[in-house]
Amino acid sequence: MQRVISLLSLMLCAAVAITASGPGQVNAADNVIKFGVSTPLSGPAAAWGIPHKQATELVFDEVNSQGGIEIGGKKYKLEVVAYDHKYVIAEGVATVNRLISKDEVKYLSILGGAVAKANEEAVNEAGALTLPLAYAEGLVSPKNPLIFHSFPAPPETTTFWKWVKEHHPEIKRLATISPNDDTGWWSIKVETQYTEKLGYETVAKEFFERGLTDFNPILLRMLAQNPDIISVNAAPAGSVGLIIKQARELGFKGRFIHIGQVDTSVVSGIAGKQNIEGMWVHGYVETPLPEALKSWKERYTKKYGEWNATSIDFANPAFAFVAAVKKAQSLEPKKIAQALQTMEFDNLWGKAHFGGKDYYGISNQIIYAMPFSEVKDGVATMIVQLQPPHN
Amino acid sequence: MTLALLIQSMVIGLSLGSIYILMALGLTLMFGMMHIINFTHGAVYMLGAFVIYYFFGQWGVPYVLAFFLAMILLGAFGFVIERCIYRPIKGGIEPTLVALIAVTTFVQAIGYPVFGTLDKHVPTVFHGMYSILGVGISAERLMIIPVAIVLVLGLYLFINKTKMGAAMRAIEQDKEAAALQGVNVNVVNALAFGVGFALAAASGALMAPIFKLDPMMGEQPLLKAFIIIILGGLGSIPGAILGGLILGQIDSIVATLLGLEPAFLLSFVFIILLLLFKPTGLFGHEV
Repeated sequence: MQRVISLLSLMLCAAVAITASGPGQVNAADNVIKFGVSTPLSGPAAAWGIPHKQATELVFDEVNSQGGIEIGGKKYKLEVVAYDHKYVIAEGVATVNRLISKDEVKYLSILGGAVAKANEEAVNEAGALTLPLAYAEGLVSPKNPLIFHSFPAPPETTTFWKWVKEHHPEIKRLATISPNDDTGWWSIKVETQYTEKLGYETVAKEFFERGLTDFNPILLRMLAQNPDIISVNAAPAGSVGLIIKQARELGFKGRFIHIGQVDTSVVSGIAGKQNIEGMWVHGYVETPLPEALKSWKERYTKKYGEWNATSIDFANPAFAFVAAVKKAQSLEPKKIAQALQTMEFDNLWGKAHFGGKDYYGISNQIIYAMPFSEVKDGVATMIVQLQPPHN
Repeated sequence: MTLALLIQSMVIGLSLGSIYILMALGLTLMFGMMHIINFTHGAVYMLGAFVIYYFFGQWGVPYVLAFFLAMILLGAFGFVIERCIYRPIKGGIEPTLVALIAVTTFVQAIGYPVFGTLDKHVPTVFHGMYSILGVGISAERLMIIPVAIVLVLGLYLFINKTKMGAAMRAIEQDKEAAALQGVNVNVVNALAFGVGFALAAASGALMAPIFKLDPMMGEQPLLKAFIIIILGGLGSIPGAILGGLILGQIDSIVATLLGLEPAFLLSFVFIILLLLFKPTGLFGHEV
């Protein structure tokens, strides 16, 4: 009996060893570059996470179909290793640890400010190149030389308020509501500082726990201040839908604005088409799409069956990474980082680069002409593309 | 805070309180009858909402029919849980608790692959807005109040005026003595599971058109329901009603006055203070 147990134990150990070491060896032999994605694939923020993963995969598939990336005469294939963090910080830390320690990933993209912030130390210690889609104060900073924020953040997108001021001078009183975490705090802080400089009066500033469904009491408090516009900056699509629906039920007739990014088709489903009419949103465009975007839409729909406009801007980390590796001609994260700081590359909106040194103290923030839409007849219609205030 | 705003927040509080009462009913029934803290309550609430999503939202079954279908299907699920989990482990409190947590985790985990990862929504059933003391309340929220009243009354009559209800009360007081008097404990337990699950499903089915749907949507209602039944007294239906109304008012008035965080904090402070002076809650009794 003891011999049988010993034999079974040996078999189990062997199986574990094969499972643990197998993929690494195969990948090394096949020249595969593994790119980690830690993103919410389920839960309230899945409307962001799913297109994040899919856009990265699509960009990499297209590079692979052309033979992969050539570095020093050697071809490498790109592979996405993605984990669901559900927009829960603990899960986010666990997934990044798994990517770095178990999957031995040296390059990754994290979605979500609170999650990216919680992993700041881990990615710095591991020397991993990180291209997050995340709003968090201090994430783009000289102390994080390998973190390159790949989506326009509040210091960039707040510039849209200047456009609002010029085109809708009747709007004067602003109320804000945002998630109660790093993402929400920083977004609201930057937005209110900017809008107050422009002369707007912030009449209400509220934070809510992610997962809250009944916003009635807090909306009653906000609406008592008679705002002209409500900013739902940094809130995920599901929460935005409920906020809009309940605010309309309480009689709010003004506009909504989201200068983070939100899928207005999901919002419309929850809030009702007529309730989101006139909403302004950054980074989500359904029409008109330039030729490059029409082609992306076709390829995306062909691969995944269903179009998701969030994928347009969430493909940035993949485009930036591929271009930087090609330029650096190296797989060393520090060399790829140097390339990122000095090059221009193509994303789906045209030319992009990493800059923002004047604002952040380091050139690690993506800069490109940002699209802003207005919901017209239920469709997110691009009204303007704006350059960030810093280069 | 002006008087008008106070009145408005009280109206919102009443609407919230009705939602909370519905959430707490099934939970308090199962504790009252069987001394079980039903951790699957939130998951069953979620499943009830998804029954509405598919039958009413996707397949066009009339809402009222879909509502009763949700109660019947999830009530049957309650029978299955009683037969396959509660009865084999002989109704021990701790093992039952752990088993129910396991069921919840399982149901939530398979929720994403089965229902999809994006938030779902159900079309509005009761259209229109009403103004009550100057505050706009949607018809779908108003409908919660009569439904809550009907369910509370129905439950009260079932427990106090039927033979099966008398059997439940007998088991609650002394299981062995009830069995000696000819009460079939297994059948009554199964019924309590069925009714408890059906009430949770009714709550989810009613909330589906008001909120968004996702596999984790039952977590917050479960927490609120726990607060209410502790406040009202474990197992007490009048306690659940009063607890729901009090919590609805705290959540609304304090959130309107001071914000969401103080409201959340105050509901716990209120419970701690109450339990210090009345450990059994408002209407509870020693178990």
